Amino acid sequence: MRILEPMFNIRIQKMIHFSVIGLLVLLAGCSDRVENSHNQSGQPVVALVMKSLANEFFVNMAEGAKNHQANSLSDEKTAYQLLVNGIKNESDLAQQVSLIDQMVAAGADAIVIAPADSKAIVPALARAINAGVVVVNIDNKLDAEVLQQYQLDIPFVGPDNKAGSYKVGKYLANHLDAGAQAAILEGIPSAFNSQQRRAGFEDALREAEIKVVSIQSAAWDQTKAADITSALLIKYPDLDAILCANDNMALGAASAIEQAGKSEKIRIVGFDNISAVRQLVGQGKILATADQQAHLLAVYGIEYAIEALQGNSTLIDRTTPVELVIKESID
Amino acid sequence: MNWVKKHLEENFIITSLIALVLLFSIITPNFFSLTTLSTVLNQLPALTVITVGMTLVLIVGGIDLSVGSILGLSAAIVGAASISLGLPIWAACLLGITAGALCGAVNGIITSYFALPSFIVTLGMLEIARGLAYTTTASQTLYIGPQIQSIAFPMASSGVSVALIIAICIVAGAHYLLTRTIFGRYITAIGTNETAARLSGIETKPYRAIVLMISGAMAGLGGVFSAAYLGASDPNAGLGLELSAIAAAVIGGTSLMGGRGSVIGAFLGVLIIAVLQNGLAQIGATEPTKRLITGSVIIIAVLFDRWRSKHSSE
Repeated sequence: MRILEPMFNIRIQKMIHFSVIGLLVLLAGCSDRVENSHNQSGQPVVALVMKSLANEFFVNMAEGAKNHQANSLSDEKTAYQLLVNGIKNESDLAQQVSLIDQMVAAGADAIVIAPADSKAIVPALARAINAGVVVVNIDNKLDAEVLQQYQLDIPFVGPDNKAGSYKVGKYLANHLDAGAQAAILEGIPSAFNSQQRRAGFEDALREAEIKVVSIQSAAWDQTKAADITSALLIKYPDLDAILCANDNMALGAASAIEQAGKSEKIRIVGFDNISAVRQLVGQGKILATADQQAHLLAVYGIEYAIEALQGNSTLIDRTTPVELVIKESID
Repeated sequence: MNWVKKHLEENFIITSLIALVLLFSIITPNFFSLTTLSTVLNQLPALTVITVGMTLVLIVGGIDLSVGSILGLSAAIVGAASISLGLPIWAACLLGITAGALCGAVNGIITSYFALPSFIVTLGMLEIARGLAYTTTASQTLYIGPQIQSIAFPMASSGVSVALIIAICIVAGAHYLLTRTIFGRYITAIGTNETAARLSGIETKPYRAIVLMISGAMAGLGGVFSAAYLGASDPNAGLGLELSAIAAAVIGGTSLMGGRGSVIGAFLGVLIIAVLQNGLAQIGATEPTKRLITGSVIIIAVLFDRWRSKHSSE
């Protein structure tokens, strides 16, 4: 048996090598070969680079973009090719940077990007622009200072996160008395949209004279949000509200509050309008959330990019609407 | 004397745990309360069962990096089965645990019978199971609702949850398995020196495979607990949880080199991590501070353990 083992191993190794090669060939066959389609059809190629496709928000965004592209094919003038890419983890910057380089190499005419980080992604975008690619920034706004350092002018199409969370905070404040206690769960502190949403919440609460007893980061994560909320409920037994910078954290908070038997007293608001939270808003367990209309967000960005490719666009930022979602708007 | 020596390991961890609780009680006024105790205890069933599985895998000289992803997959299956397929909760939960055991069996069979390191096989499974979790849920958080939360919520009568009771039974069962059965003696022997174990007539392969399968099943059960705790299936649930489980096992005196470990110790390790998490959140520590402190506690706990075992063996 022992003598046979090395041979056995070599055979396995060969088998593995062949299957890996086979897989690669298969994959190559499946993927859209952009260079060719670009040259043959003459249609512009737009690459949509997003954050995690494990996040419902970006799944909706990709769906919206794909539908838009499918509809565009009906007319010769508007037709374009679309490449959709996301990264594995929200925070995997390196992968997003290499995606941008890959898209340039793949012959994309325009890149529509939802940056995983407001600053670190800028150098890669500068390379793309130098290669003659039109870049449009969606969702999470690039840092103005870094853009200036690179002397870039990249238009931003996206929601005003601060105005959106202010709306949500304001609606919550109407249900609370002055002097009430509230806690805020923010996302990853370095993310611009997290900072904006937190700022919007804080503004609304300050105006209504509601006391913010604690601001903690649950890093956009449901389980972390539930754990932190449980701890907050012990530390602040008189807590009246929890404001969450995304809906996943709102779900986590809701579960912890229910577990503590305080669902009647404590109000929760979120941000994003994911389907699970829409259900809870309908049941009155979560008071409100905000909808950035993800399915339209990428579409706006793509339309902007195509306009720019046709040479008729001034590079100014465009704000997309953020809607307040409450029980009445669901019924 | 022998008894004292044997239990010193656990006693040391208990001392650290008490020190931690006292520290937080002094710093933050509401910490020392039954509510905190109940909250902490009811937070930890998922990590507990995963750590039990991980401890067994470490003892046999392997590692299982896929448990966090398998937990996510199991949670996803529980959600999809109960919502999309309309199955009753118990059936959905059974399906989740079965899926976990299947993933674990794949890990075990490939590791054992193709003689590959468990590190790389379970790393592959980490990707596969997470991918399946996203596919199962279409990357959406699925809201399940109160019917599943009853598993994880503390019962009004006792303040403990069904999940916690199951988790503690599993700790007790695994402790018995490890210390009182031939199975336990064999996996310790294999972890200490596999060649010696084989030469003395132990058929090592099935044992390695079974232990990885147990770990997968535990992760599947962890998925059920996670879904119950959140009342929802989060396809991202359990992200990085394998590292918490490894940390808890090692804090509890389990050796990464195999051959040595304690399930009770691992459970105490889980408690230390949970107390730390809850205490830091009550203090309102910032994210960087939390990470600094958690990391330091892990290293210090293991350093002390090394120092102690060196002195007690002399």
